[in-house]
Amino acid sequence: MKFSKLLLLLSTGVSKIHASGSLDVDVDAYSYVTSLMAEDATTADVASDAICTTAIDEYTKSDSIEDDSTIEQIMTREGLKMNFDADDRGQIITLDSVRYPYDENMVVRPLPSNHLLTSFVFDMTSESFGPRRNPQESDQYTHYTVFPKAMKPLLERTSTRQLQLRFTRGFWDAESWGPLPYDGVKSGGSGVELWATIEATSKDEAYHKWKSLANYLSGHFCASINFIDSAKTSFPVYSFKGDTGDSAIPLFDRENKDSNLYILHAALANEPICTENLTPLIKLLPTRGKSGISTYLDGHKVFDSVWHSLSIDIDTKCDLKSELCHYEMEAMVDMVIHVPNVLERFENPIPKPVGGDKLRCDLTKPYDAYECFPLPEDTAISFSLSQLFNKTITGCNKFIERPSTICVETTTEWDISLKIVDDDSLMGDESNCFELEDTKRYDVILDSHNSKSVVSTGDVPVFVSRALTGYGQDHGGLRTVLNNPNDTPVTITFFESFPWFMRIFLSSLTVESSNGDITVNKLMESMYYSPAVDRKRPTHLEFTMEIPAHTTFSFSYQFDKTLLQFAEYPPDANHGFEIESAVVTVLSPKPYQLRTSTLLLLLSTPDFSMPYNVIIISSTILGLIFGVVFNLLVKRVVTLEEADKVLVERSIKYRLLMLKQRVLSKLGLSH
Amino acid sequence: MGLFETVQRKASQMGLLPKVIRLLPILSMITALVSIVLIVILPMEGQYRRTYISENALMPSQAYSYFRESEWNILRGYRTQLESFIKFPSEENISIESAYEIVTSQDRFATIKSWLQEFGVKTATYHNNVTGDTLYGVLHAPRGDGTEAMVLCMPWHNGDGDFNIGGTALGINLARYFSRWPIWSKNIIVVFSENPKHALRAWVEAYHTSLDLTGGSIESAIVLDFAGVNDFFEYTEIYYNGLNGELPNLDLVNIAVSITEHEGMKVSLHNLPQNELSVNNYWSRLKLILLGIKDASLAGVKKVHGNEAFSGWRIQSLTLKACGTSGKIDITTFGRIPEAMFRSVNNLLEKFHQSFFFYLLLTTRNFVSISSYLPSAVLLSIAYALSSLNSIFNTKYSLNSYIQYSTIAGIAWLASLVVSFAISHVFIYSTTKFNCVLLLSGNLMVLLTPLVTTKAAYIKEPITQRIRSLGFLYFSLCSTSLLMLNFSFAFSITLLAFPMTFVKNVNTYDKNIFKLQLKNTLCLLISNPFTSVLFITNVFENKSFNGLDVFPALTSAWNELNCWTWFVLCMCWLPVWLLTVASTMVTVPVPVITNDSTENNTKKNM
Repeated sequence: MKFSKLLLLLSTGVSKIHASGSLDVDVDAYSYVTSLMAEDATTADVASDAICTTAIDEYTKSDSIEDDSTIEQIMTREGLKMNFDADDRGQIITLDSVRYPYDENMVVRPLPSNHLLTSFVFDMTSESFGPRRNPQESDQYTHYTVFPKAMKPLLERTSTRQLQLRFTRGFWDAESWGPLPYDGVKSGGSGVELWATIEATSKDEAYHKWKSLANYLSGHFCASINFIDSAKTSFPVYSFKGDTGDSAIPLFDRENKDSNLYILHAALANEPICTENLTPLIKLLPTRGKSGISTYLDGHKVFDSVWHSLSIDIDTKCDLKSELCHYEMEAMVDMVIHVPNVLERFENPIPKPVGGDKLRCDLTKPYDAYECFPLPEDTAISFSLSQLFNKTITGCNKFIERPSTICVETTTEWDISLKIVDDDSLMGDESNCFELEDTKRYDVILDSHNSKSVVSTGDVPVFVSRALTGYGQDHGGLRTVLNNPNDTPVTITFFESFPWFMRIFLSSLTVESSNGDITVNKLMESMYYSPAVDRKRPTHLEFTMEIPAHTTFSFSYQFDKTLLQFAEYPPDANHGFEIESAVVTVLSPKPYQLRTSTLLLLLSTPDFSMPYNVIIISSTILGLIFGVVFNLLVKRVVTLEEADKVLVERSIKYRLLMLKQRVLSKLGLSH
Repeated sequence: MGLFETVQRKASQMGLLPKVIRLLPILSMITALVSIVLIVILPMEGQYRRTYISENALMPSQAYSYFRESEWNILRGYRTQLESFIKFPSEENISIESAYEIVTSQDRFATIKSWLQEFGVKTATYHNNVTGDTLYGVLHAPRGDGTEAMVLCMPWHNGDGDFNIGGTALGINLARYFSRWPIWSKNIIVVFSENPKHALRAWVEAYHTSLDLTGGSIESAIVLDFAGVNDFFEYTEIYYNGLNGELPNLDLVNIAVSITEHEGMKVSLHNLPQNELSVNNYWSRLKLILLGIKDASLAGVKKVHGNEAFSGWRIQSLTLKACGTSGKIDITTFGRIPEAMFRSVNNLLEKFHQSFFFYLLLTTRNFVSISSYLPSAVLLSIAYALSSLNSIFNTKYSLNSYIQYSTIAGIAWLASLVVSFAISHVFIYSTTKFNCVLLLSGNLMVLLTPLVTTKAAYIKEPITQRIRSLGFLYFSLCSTSLLMLNFSFAFSITLLAFPMTFVKNVNTYDKNIFKLQLKNTLCLLISNPFTSVLFITNVFENKSFNGLDVFPALTSAWNELNCWTWFVLCMCWLPVWLLTVASTMVTVPVPVITNDSTENNTKKNM
């Protein structure tokens, strides 16, 4: 047993391990401990970091730890209790040499109008393994270091070579903030978006693996990803090819000629994103939000932002010479906050009207005790990350190759300094990048007299907006506006996937532009269209088109809304059906990806008490018709006189009279 | 023998059917009377219900409204700037009615735009050469999905044509105030249109067809109307009637009423004057129900307040108007109504669907639902059907088909439709005063034709009867379909057209033809669609309509708002009236074809 590793893991944050029973330590010790950590995650406090770090510090001095009892002594001294089975006590190696391929850094970038983008990047790499067809066939010793144990068996079982999962919500104001972080490739449409490259021998097999993948991720990330079914899944043709392209990923099962790579994509529009999605993501990190920059990842702060995006990318990288592969995982959290609002909320949770003395009035306009024309937001601003996130951070990552970093991307009009909280000292750096090496508590202070001055990240290649048009419940239209404000033409692929109940008529595709010289033929270079199959497959549309410089045009198509089956409506009255966002992938001049907002499609919802009324009325009518027809068939039509005669003849009184007469006549008594 | 058979035999023994047929005119009148009684008893205790918030998520006034204190200072700041856009004729005369504008709408929009952009509203201008431009801005919900929106609308001129300075300043200030709150789950769209009528309607239409900047599907819209530059007002008026019989969901009206009253204001509906607002008795309720029917019938035609512009896209909308210039209620209190309403609507996870879409209000807190008032309009339709039967059966020509006469009647009906269609379309293109006079005099000429041609033209008697019968049947069908969509309008026109059913056949052998014809002409004069609309608007809506104003209003309601009141008048009412006029022509009897065998059989069956 590598005890050192266990210690290291302890050092990453959680200390209050009170494993009173035996600890089953084997290759999976990591996961065992982590599960313990998860249990205690809520009770663990930051202060405990120091304790475990001290424990490690002392033992890094000695070359190796030979005796488990020493560890137990230390642990007892530090208030930790652990019992181990004697059998599992193994050899202990030195700590100094153990460094794992884990990288984390945080980038803070002020945006115009006092917004602030904070990006957290966590990189993890798995140990190398030989690619093989069936992971169960091999008895090779496998081992999870910093790569989350949850992921690797999943990737192997479902033959997933690339996995991209996005949780995004909010409004990215591209007009004033510029391009999306990482050129948009790390953020999805509003809601959850998942796409993966899966190796399979057929489309069906790929879909089954995909379904299994989705079900697993659904459980792991507490999201409704399991609602992804064939009616939501599309197989992109031009989009989502990724940076590396398919060629970089070798087929593991080369013997089978049918073996191929399939890209599958699905999105759950407007799926609410919340803490229960963030917590599983943090749990994938070796630091588990207990030390390093992930300390900042508090649900209250991440989701109290104007825009946020959580993303997970897993890629398979193979070395063709050594025939060894490894997984690389990138977890990212990006968020945009409006700094004055957050600071204000820190002081007063309710944004009440400001006090009369705090009003900032435009002195060039009339103002007095009753009147005040408000000034725009103050551009002189000073704040620290601890004010925004309500905590300081420590650099506790003793087991990683590079220390965690915090970089601030600003112009010279900002003063950035790193504050060491314990000794109240400030440090500055030209590059505004700080390495959190020690186990001290850190804070970053941002200060500017002109917060409008921000780093430009280039032009947004294209703007897109999409809206539903039309009037009425049975049909509608969809209008997409694309705008290229730049000097160079832009080539894009436009990916759209619609649910089957939205019946698109491609024949109604029209292109409108302000100058009117853009036609469908001129614009669209290629088009892929896979029509929907009811309840089985979505409509899948992909266009490749070139937008000339300084051009705005819109294209629209009409669609019919279908009536769903009784049970397909949501159980309660709903506000509409979510339509996932369209994906625009810019191919040139530079790779970029952006998405439209999602849409809300109103389907005519029947009044569900109506079936009962219909049943009642139609049964009544049927009953009446049956009665009439039956009477006509079996009864004779007679005149009133005849009917009266028959009635009289049938009455008991008449029969008795007849009987009496007959009897009397037999007896010869009749008149 | 079944029960039905017994009843039927009893009836036929008593000769009920001929008796009923003889009584048809009286029955028709009784049905009409019952329908009126059904409306009149609605305001009685026990007939109506108290309103309630049906959708639990709305929770009106459950959160404290913070639009107060220093927000008033900011409001005044914006208002002073807006005031600089207009000029009063003199220092003494600062009534808002006489003010005039001194900057162009482009300059005004540019200024407002710069204010809005300061707190993060994305703005765009909708250009329309006909109706004028409209400035609008989208405040993206920080945590919403951006698929739904709430609209706050501030027309620069209100329904009365006055400058909506207070409302515009309030709207801008509210947008600024809303931008500081993190609670929004739906986008907020602020709209600054030139007027609440066609400019706003054009914007709403463009929003659903061609605008590039959109904020998702609109859930609800609130139009703010605070004319003038004063700080205080007396009470709040809520306008809720949509076009073509559409009403906002009762829940929206309820939260508006509940919030307004919660903030200590009196609520007026249908222009009820201030001194009648606290009255709640049978007569006040009856008055409000009748005013409601009148306003719904004339919605779009009479003064438009802005909420009408949103009719038709499943948008629930209403207008809040601050009434009076003195009083103790300040403008921020008025601002707290849209604030609290937005917070309520923001809570909705569904569409407005819980509460009623068809209702009549008796007071601000009492209503009747469709099941209570619909029977009265149905009965009126039945009254026409009975009249139709009357003109067929109560004659000596009833027992034979007279196919040639029925065909002529059918052709007459088609011709009347064609004529009405032509008239309706000619007037859509041009409604000058001259045309209106022409229309009325044309109608008068048609009306007088039977009188003038007493000696000249003789039509065969069965034809006129069949023409009239067909006309009434058509009207009955029209009003039945209409009453499902627009109860108030269907009820009004069937009631106003009812004198038509009193028209009698005029025969050459009648003794005093002239008296009969005079009576017919009088009935037809008051039941003519145009004269009766003219009469009603000039008597009950004389504030908005003078003389012939109603005709341009009717056609512009169609052209600008897609309100089909004019077409219903022309295509439902006018053909029937024309047919009825035709049926009052002096007729000659035709020999009755007597077919003994048929007659005997019929008698036997009866």
